[in-house]
Amino acid sequence: MTNNLPLAGIRVADFTWVWAGPFATLQLAHLGAEVIRIESQSRVCVTRRIPPFADGQAGPNRSGYYNQYNQGKASLSLNLKKPEGLAIAKKLVSISDVVSENFAAGVMDKMGLGYEVLRQNKPDLIMIAMSGYGASGPESAYVSYGPAQVPMSGLSALTGFPGFPPMHVGFSYGDPNGGLHGAFAVLAALMHRARSGEGQYIDLSQWETSVAVLGEAVMDQVMNGTQPPRMGNRDPYMAPHGLFRCQGEDRWVSIVIASEEEWQRLCTGMGQPGLAADSRFATLTARKQNEDALEEFLNAWTATCTAEEVTAKLQGVGVAAFPALTNKELAEDPHLRSRGFFVELPHHEVGARQHAGVPWVFSDTPCQVRRAAPCLGQDTDDVMQRVLGYSAQEIAGLKEREVLT
Amino acid sequence: MENCQPPTPNPQSLGPLQGSRVVECGQMVAAAYATKLMADLGAEVIKVEEPAGDPARRRGPYPGQVSHLEKSGLFLYLNTNKLGVTLNLQTARGQDLLQRLLQEADLLVHNYPPAQMPALGLNYADLHQRNPRLVMTSISPFGQNGPHRDLHVHDLTMWSAGGIVYLSGASGRPDLPPLKAFGQQAGFQAGVNAAVGSLGALFSRLSSGQGQHVDVSAQESLVAIMENNYISWPYDHSVASRLGFRLIPQDVFQCRDGYIYLLAIEDHQWKNAAALMGNPEWATADIFQDFPSRSANWDALKPLLEDWVQDKSVQELYHAAQAKRVPFAPVSTMGDLLSSAHLNARGFFAEITHPEAGSLRYAGAPYRFSATPWALRRPAPCLGQHNDEVYGKLGLSQTELEELQNQGVL
Repeated sequence: MTNNLPLAGIRVADFTWVWAGPFATLQLAHLGAEVIRIESQSRVCVTRRIPPFADGQAGPNRSGYYNQYNQGKASLSLNLKKPEGLAIAKKLVSISDVVSENFAAGVMDKMGLGYEVLRQNKPDLIMIAMSGYGASGPESAYVSYGPAQVPMSGLSALTGFPGFPPMHVGFSYGDPNGGLHGAFAVLAALMHRARSGEGQYIDLSQWETSVAVLGEAVMDQVMNGTQPPRMGNRDPYMAPHGLFRCQGEDRWVSIVIASEEEWQRLCTGMGQPGLAADSRFATLTARKQNEDALEEFLNAWTATCTAEEVTAKLQGVGVAAFPALTNKELAEDPHLRSRGFFVELPHHEVGARQHAGVPWVFSDTPCQVRRAAPCLGQDTDDVMQRVLGYSAQEIAGLKEREVLT
Repeated sequence: MENCQPPTPNPQSLGPLQGSRVVECGQMVAAAYATKLMADLGAEVIKVEEPAGDPARRRGPYPGQVSHLEKSGLFLYLNTNKLGVTLNLQTARGQDLLQRLLQEADLLVHNYPPAQMPALGLNYADLHQRNPRLVMTSISPFGQNGPHRDLHVHDLTMWSAGGIVYLSGASGRPDLPPLKAFGQQAGFQAGVNAAVGSLGALFSRLSSGQGQHVDVSAQESLVAIMENNYISWPYDHSVASRLGFRLIPQDVFQCRDGYIYLLAIEDHQWKNAAALMGNPEWATADIFQDFPSRSANWDALKPLLEDWVQDKSVQELYHAAQAKRVPFAPVSTMGDLLSSAHLNARGFFAEITHPEAGSLRYAGAPYRFSATPWALRRPAPCLGQHNDEVYGKLGLSQTELEELQNQGVL
């Protein structure tokens, strides 16, 4: 089965860290690539140091954050500050198809691992750099953290309740979004290489990938000289459109009505078919004009039900409604379980935990997580012997000289 | 890039995906964004719209906010570099024409709900029989099977079903609901996942010679990006919420001329940020001495930071902080982005003239390929603009085209 995976036989020398880069290579691992993360005890990946830790007990191999986004990969522990370590990294690159990194622009060059150097021993190399700002431009050397991509891209200024300052979206959206675009770019480069034999350098800017999902707001500015105002959960073309409070502590249901027909169905679902003809709400224009009253009306109804009851009643009449699910509910979600979305593979230190899996199902070459995330340096011996051809004796010497740490 | 010279671009190149033929039957964002990514990298994408047009055409923004099928900013952005045809898939002739289009295609991407697929002729087994090399990517809210398969959704309910909306909002205001992110983000995420899956299947075909069906779930695409929030249940049984713990200090602060995002997580960043403030005494107080204590005492720290930034200029503070390797970031408006010296130096925005909407600047491709450069080669298609060209290539005569037009097939 493994040999049939789409990227079987493709090796990735993965110098990425934190989230955006590892999320890109996670997609390649899902597709069957052999992804070897180059890590080091002296520069432990940020996500190995961030909670949640298994059972609340901290440790570099116990972080759910790292273990979620590094499934299916191997970990080679290598000290790149030692010349011997650098030489091993170059050797690995020379027998890899793809090199990935997400340092600030110029860092790989300074380490002696720039594209020009690396392609000397691997002319058709594909290298992707996923820096915050991209490799060119006056701010290219600036430091960028994933959470800052939300405000930098404009997403914060577009997101928020009216009368409130710009808001964050609550998680580091720029990271996975940048990583997915990075995975797509690598696949496109692999397609090109398969056809032409030519490798190349891909300069991805996380800032730009974050703007890429806001294209219509850019257009508004270009067309009208203004950007869309912050309107909470409302929408200029739909009403009602929001989250409504339900029974229970901090429980909410989302409801969206996009047409008059859906509005009539909503009224039926609420058990108030007469409301459909109420002139305050009968048309989109009227509902937008009386949106405060409309939302009050809905909240009064949803507050008497659970989010699940509202969902069942409204879905029953063909209206888009769904509870605002928590991570706990997702982990226990019968639908996701029935799809086989979750992955529970044995891990040396934390046992078999329930991780999120692959969001696409392939009919012929089923993509799957093939192993749990590696402990730090777990595959050092295997990569050194099997992939790079070092003898046990050589490896022992390298360990003694603190090259493989 | 000073130390790293990319190879000289080949001017003949049309992008890394040139030669790939893609048919898109998309409505709104997800399928359109997946194939936009491909079209922008050189794939030939034929967008198939219902005769009334993609619903995205009926969503703004519009110039002057006046509705016009050819001037929707959302549609114009999502469909650059594509050809456009109309086709009524609810008719037998329409489905037959789609089959003929797919005969020549490598990939079909659509986002019709599973319940509608059979009636539209989007049955993978049949399509595969006619063209075994065809990859078909189906984007749907909850995937092609499972108890929620046929639930009704729009983008916000999807964002809610994916667990993301529960993470976002005003942390000190339990009276306010969870907050959606701007735009159609569930659609964009399903779209970029579909693009990754589709290329994976096309790459697989290089060796197998066989196409396959790729089932992309929007909900799963969202659960997969919850940072450390999904996983906190399986790891330590904690429920993540907008009202809970945040990595601090990082937040939006008001300057005299706009907003800035202050972020100084690491100790060396905090030290440098304090230096920028002129090393006030409180910056070294015990209650702010390390990352955990700054987080725990955020309520005390925040007003001090507010006071510090209020008379500063966003751009001055941003550049001064970055000079000390402190990752502050401006809270950009769209106007800020369009005038950004950095983004413009990189050539991120590209301009092209559309026959109805005129000459506009667009957000461009978010990456540079050294050997196969990106180009905005054509604007989004007008409704049915390429009917004659595309169907003509299938061998339909002008008379037949007119007949199909009259029958409501095109």
